[in-house]
Amino acid sequence: MKKRAPWLKLIMVLTYLFLFAPIIVVMVMSFNTSQYGTLPFVFTTGWYQRLLSGVGLGKATWLSIWFSLLVTLAGSLVGILTSLGLRRMPETWARRFISWLNLAVIIPWLVLGIALLMIFNFVGLGRSYTGMFLGNFVCVLPYVVMLVYPALLALDKNVEYAARTLGASPRRTLVTIVLPALLPAILTSSLMAFMVCFNNFVIQYYLAPFGIRTLPMEIYNLVRVGYKPDINALATIMILVSVSLVLLVNRLGYGSKKGFF
Amino acid sequence: MTKSRIKTWLLMLPGAGTLLSLVLLPLSLLLLFSLVTGNQISLSGALSFKNYLNIFEQGLFGPLMWKSIRMGLLVTASSILIGYPVAYGLAKVVKPRWRNFLVVMIIIPFFTSQLLLIYSLMVMLQSQGPVMTFLALFGLDPTRSILYSNTAVYLILLYQFLPYMVLSLYSSLVKIDDNIVFAARSMGASRIRVFIVIILPLTAPALFSGIILVFIPVAGSFVESNLAGGTKGMMIGSLIDSNFSVSLNMGRGCALCVLFLLIMSVLTFALQRAIRYLEGRRL
Repeated sequence: MKKRAPWLKLIMVLTYLFLFAPIIVVMVMSFNTSQYGTLPFVFTTGWYQRLLSGVGLGKATWLSIWFSLLVTLAGSLVGILTSLGLRRMPETWARRFISWLNLAVIIPWLVLGIALLMIFNFVGLGRSYTGMFLGNFVCVLPYVVMLVYPALLALDKNVEYAARTLGASPRRTLVTIVLPALLPAILTSSLMAFMVCFNNFVIQYYLAPFGIRTLPMEIYNLVRVGYKPDINALATIMILVSVSLVLLVNRLGYGSKKGFF
Repeated sequence: MTKSRIKTWLLMLPGAGTLLSLVLLPLSLLLLFSLVTGNQISLSGALSFKNYLNIFEQGLFGPLMWKSIRMGLLVTASSILIGYPVAYGLAKVVKPRWRNFLVVMIIIPFFTSQLLLIYSLMVMLQSQGPVMTFLALFGLDPTRSILYSNTAVYLILLYQFLPYMVLSLYSSLVKIDDNIVFAARSMGASRIRVFIVIILPLTAPALFSGIILVFIPVAGSFVESNLAGGTKGMMIGSLIDSNFSVSLNMGRGCALCVLFLLIMSVLTFALQRAIRYLEGRRL
C-alpha cells in the first residue's frame, strides 16, 4: 500500500512551522541591530556582549543552575529508591501510587505552589530556600519515577536471579547488575528533572525567599517590561542548550523508541 | 512482617512521605485555610464560610471560571484536531529515518523554558513583527496587533500545550498494528470509518491523558494572560494569583483554589466516564 496522504503532510508541515518559526525568528532577531525587532536586518553580536557583561542575569543563572542540580540529585535519589520499592509491590498498587504522585504534575503549579506556601507559612518555614527546594523536589519526583519505574520493569529478572544464585549479595546485585542496566533511564530522568526544575517559574515565584530571584523570575520581569533584544540572545543560548540536551537524551536511547509517557 | 516486606516499606518511605506531606496534606489543608478569614494563618480565629460568601458577592469567580473553562476547551479541541493528524503522520506515514528526528523536535519544548516560548510567540505577534508584516500584505494595518488580546493568549497556550497532545497520541498510535488498519481498508472501510471504529477506541486512554495534560494546566494558567492578555485578559488563574501577589487576601485565595479544584475534579470524572464509553464502543 502506498503511503501518500498529501493533506496529512501539509498539516504536519504547518504544525512544525507553527512550533518552530517563533524560535527561529527569536534566534535571528538576536543578531539584529534594531532594538524593536524590526527590519531591515543588520548583523550584530552586541546583544550577546551586553547579556554576558550583565551582572544581574549572571547571578540568577548561577543560582538556578546550583539549585536545580541539588533538586535533581535529591529527586533522582528518592525517585530511584521509590521505583525499586514499587517493583517489589503488586503492579496495580504501584500504578495507583504513581497516579497519586502524578498529581504534582497534573494539578496546576499555581494551586500546588499556593498549597505549599500556605503549609510552609503554617509550620513557620515561610518563603525560604528550604521551601523552594521542597516545592521543586516534589514537582521533579514524578518525572523520575515515570521514567525509571518502566525501565526497571523491563529488566530481565532472570539476570538478577542468576547473580543471586551465583552468590552475589543483594547489594552487589543492585550495584553490578540493576543500576548499570538502568543507567540510560537514570541519566534521562536526571536531565528531565534538571530542566523541569530549572524552568519551573510558578513554584519558584511562590516559594523563593523575598528578594531572591531565580533565572525564570528574572526572565518573567524582563518579558513583562517589554521587548529587549538581550532576551533574544538569552533565549537563543537557552534553546541551544535545550536542543543539545534533547539530542543527548535521544543518544541515550530514549526519545521516540521508548516514549516519554 | 517478613524481612522482605520491611525492605519494601523502607524503600517506599521517602517517596510515600513526600507524596503525603508535600502533595496530599497541603492540598487537603487548603480546605481548612479557606475557612480562615483574611491573612491570619495561625488558625486562632473562628472558622467560617465568609471567604466563599465574599467570592460570590464579588461576582468575579463565575465569569472568570467560565472563561478559563472555555479557553481550556478551545485549546484542547484545537490540539486534538491538530494532534491526531500530526501524531498519525509521525507514527504511520513518515519514513522511519525521519521519524526519530521529527519526534525529537516535538520533545524540545519540554526541555525549554515556558517563559521563553511565551516570549518568542509574543515577538511573532507584536505590532510590526513578522505576523503583522505578513498580514499587511493582505491590507491589514501592521501597526495594530493581536498581541494583548484573548486571541494572543489562545495562540500562546496552544503553542505551549500542543506538543503534550501530539506526544501522548503518538505514543499510543505507534503501538497500533498497521495490519489492522490495512485489513479494514481492504475490506472497504472508509478512512473516516477506520478512524471512528479502530483508531479512536484504541487511542482512547492516550486521548484521555492528553486532554488531562492540556485542559487542566490551560484552565489554571495565569502567566500567559498576565503577559499577553492585556487589560481584558484576566482568567481564573490571574484572580487566584492576585489574592497572593496584589491584595494579599490569602484566605480568599485558598477558597478560590478549593472551588477551582472541585470543578476540575468533577470535569475530570465526567471526562473519564466519556472516555470509558468511547473505549468500550467497538463494532
